[in-house]
Amino acid sequence: MKLASFECRWAEAVLGAIFPGSPEEGLAGIGSMNVVVFLGDVMRSLPRRAALGMRLAIWLVSLSPLLLIGRLALFAGLTVADRERVLHRLATSRRYGLRSLVLLLKTIGALLYASDDRVRARMRGASTPLPVVRLRRLEVEGAHGA
Amino acid sequence: MFDAPSFETLPDERLPSGAVIDGELLDRCLEEAFDYVVVGSGAAGAVAAHVLVESGASVVIVEEGPWVRTREFDGRVYAAFKRMFRDAGAQVIEGRAYVPLLQGRCVGGSTVMNSAIVHRTPEDVLEEWRLRFGLGQTVNARALEPHFDALERELNARVVGDEALGDNNRLFLEEAPPRGIPARRMLRYERGCRGSGQCLTGCPTGAKQAMNVTYVPWALARGARLVCSCRVERILVEAGRACGVLARTVLGAAAPSHRRAQRVVLRARRAVVVAASTVQTPNLLRRSGLRASAVGRHFQCHPGYAIAGLFDRPVEINFGVTQGAEAVHLRRSDRIKLETLGMPPELAAARIPGVGRDLMRRFGAFSHLAIWAVVVRAEAEGEVGRGWGGRDKVRWQPSRIDVERARRGAAMLARLLFQAGAREVWPGLHGLPSSLRSIDDVGLIERVPADPRLFGFIASHLFGAARMGTDPRSSVVGTDFQCHEVAGLYVVDSSVFPTNLGVNPQHSIMAISRLAATQILAGGTRLNVAA
Repeated sequence: MKLASFECRWAEAVLGAIFPGSPEEGLAGIGSMNVVVFLGDVMRSLPRRAALGMRLAIWLVSLSPLLLIGRLALFAGLTVADRERVLHRLATSRRYGLRSLVLLLKTIGALLYASDDRVRARMRGASTPLPVVRLRRLEVEGAHGA
Repeated sequence: MFDAPSFETLPDERLPSGAVIDGELLDRCLEEAFDYVVVGSGAAGAVAAHVLVESGASVVIVEEGPWVRTREFDGRVYAAFKRMFRDAGAQVIEGRAYVPLLQGRCVGGSTVMNSAIVHRTPEDVLEEWRLRFGLGQTVNARALEPHFDALERELNARVVGDEALGDNNRLFLEEAPPRGIPARRMLRYERGCRGSGQCLTGCPTGAKQAMNVTYVPWALARGARLVCSCRVERILVEAGRACGVLARTVLGAAAPSHRRAQRVVLRARRAVVVAASTVQTPNLLRRSGLRASAVGRHFQCHPGYAIAGLFDRPVEINFGVTQGAEAVHLRRSDRIKLETLGMPPELAAARIPGVGRDLMRRFGAFSHLAIWAVVVRAEAEGEVGRGWGGRDKVRWQPSRIDVERARRGAAMLARLLFQAGAREVWPGLHGLPSSLRSIDDVGLIERVPADPRLFGFIASHLFGAARMGTDPRSSVVGTDFQCHEVAGLYVVDSSVFPTNLGVNPQHSIMAISRLAATQILAGGTRLNVAA
């Protein structure tokens, strides 16, 4: 099974909202990883039924803003805050099926996200990022005249 | 994380020439005859093949999955799922909830990705099998003892050492006993474990004594053959007697487009020994024409449920044996076992609560997490059948009392995590706050409804579905491990277990398979179908 290019874009938006990265935590976002190639490989590797579930989950999340927050927009057209709000509602939905589809996307995304070398390197050490080094401009004699 | 050292030669590299036929590379049909055909190379199949070939018989092992060598293990979960797990890790048990089911599909089977934990079959379980199923003459403590002894010797069963313990295990061992929980270090099969924390994705040093580095290469060294990437479609039966298997090679994703799957016929002069696992064995028997009503029924498992605690200091679950500490004192009374569970970051990222910034904040604290789990000896039974597109389908759901037991164990672990100094506990239960911040909140867990959809269960230990018994109406194999319906067809994996165990089953599976193979050699085979 293969995702259409628009489905890949939808999936990128959803996974980007689940794993946005965090400068404070020193974590890259999934958007900086090769999501489309990964999804292509996943869809080829998964059994047909699981791949179908994956496709369903992408559609469901992408079309859910109207029902969940009353916005006539695709998920990818929302602001970052609204994307997170929609995902949170789905992930905590009373309907088990809805929760499960979000969990499926999160699980698949996690396989890419946490296998990234930068993320794994970050997992090795202390979780508190090192303080940012302050750079000071050095006044070099004669530089103004150059 | 762990950098694998380089070794001169690993056990899965020292193989006799011509011993392995890789189905992915086979470009012609194959037909050969052996004394014994063993289906499956996991805990049961590898051990049985080793016993049979040691007697001087000719033996072939057929394995559906590929042989992924130790040097190829890179600790990445996706790569492991894709190549070594059934359905690329996407297999689930269906019921009121979807329960992920992790099964190996590679040379070595699930032993490649489990924690190599050693538990002899509990005596109360053997007693139950004697009383309820009439197995006392065959499967009893005295009969199993020499097999357990031999396995423990050959696979170097030893208690987890300090050098590989890691803080997730150490914390449990230090904090549980003062609170009345008699925790102990696990006994594992290993030689020189350095605590890479990569049991789930294949041991990168070959220290874990899984079948891919022990009984499979040992059997090959004694003259056995192995056909891997080759799926058995059915057992060939003539005049009521098993006489071989019909199989077809499995092409990997990287196979060239011109390559076609090849037909493989392996004739068995003496017997076919099936060790394809609890899920695959019953469907193989069905495809081979067995009609016993007990085929596929009485499936059981051990659902497990993990809970995380966030500490102010690093715990580093990525270092240390994946599972190194346990408490089994409630196995009989409450049918639960408590244990530690290291988790690769990929699985942690999937299981940690939240999405977006909340998830990132929590995942950023990965190195400060301790993860412990409760495993339930569930009473519920399910069924293995054939699903969509002929795939294996498992239907099962925990009973209310099973879920209540899991809930009780989860509450015990949450309390223990707080007592051990956790700042937060993440119960992962739908309907509860995603973070509990005080030991007083643990009561919330105890009040969660006993609904499996609220818990994130995972199943890994599987039993039944081709039960052993004396009555052909309620069982599939007799006490000689031979199918009631077909002579010369033996089942030696955990699908013959009449019930689950309440402890990790690999040791029992291997000992019972070893016992079965010994009996097959000693007892001969019925000449035809039982009356």
